[in-house]
Amino acid sequence: MANGEGVLMSSPGLQGLRPWIIQRVSAVFIGVFILYVFIVFLIDNPLNASDWREWVSTPYNNILLGLFLIGVLWHAWIGVRDIILDYIPNVVGRLLVLTLVGCTLIGSGLWGFKALFMVFIK
Amino acid sequence: MAVSDNRPFFLNLVKIRLPVTGFVSIFHRISGLLLFLAIPFSVYLLDISLQGEAGFNEAAETLNIPIIKLACVILLWSILHHLIAGIRFLLTDFDIGLEKQQATLYAWIVFILEAILFIWLTVKVFL
Repeated sequence: MANGEGVLMSSPGLQGLRPWIIQRVSAVFIGVFILYVFIVFLIDNPLNASDWREWVSTPYNNILLGLFLIGVLWHAWIGVRDIILDYIPNVVGRLLVLTLVGCTLIGSGLWGFKALFMVFIK
Repeated sequence: MAVSDNRPFFLNLVKIRLPVTGFVSIFHRISGLLLFLAIPFSVYLLDISLQGEAGFNEAAETLNIPIIKLACVILLWSILHHLIAGIRFLLTDFDIGLEKQQATLYAWIVFILEAILFIWLTVKVFL
């Protein structure tokens, strides 16, 4: 084990069974949702402004999109975290990149939720 | 464990020979990283595409810029590979296809399936 590696490897949520399970559960949800969207677009293509907006503002689509967003962000966090732990041995570098990735994901999440919520307002 | 010092130490990626199963794995990682990088841009497109006719058209025009279009084709491959290889890895979790011969067969199925879907969808969506 490299110097100081224990600090990051033993932090809760960074390794073990829990992220392993979350990664698989989110993967299944993401996969099924993509298949659903794929079929929707294949059958009834909502490719104009009003149809697209209407599709997103349908309550169950909106909720599913929100869950999809959470699933993708969580899945990406675990996946990218694994890559960082594999390729960046330096503790400071790890913390820096992990923070950057975390901020990007949280920012994208807030932005996405704003977009999904605003269809009900304007 | 005693190890001799003159063993080859290849970090030269070109010299690393991977079995086909290894390519499924490394491409799963690369495609995952590419999809992560696409998240902020995708959220941006979602946001503006929902802001009326003007925003929707702006999103459509953005997607028509050649370099963005190329990125989308690469992302289409990323989604297909990540999804299909992901399904294969879920099967691994259930101890399906662990024997060397079977694992190789599954790896080829992954690549053939994604190639067919990739060509079909690229022609349908981008051409």
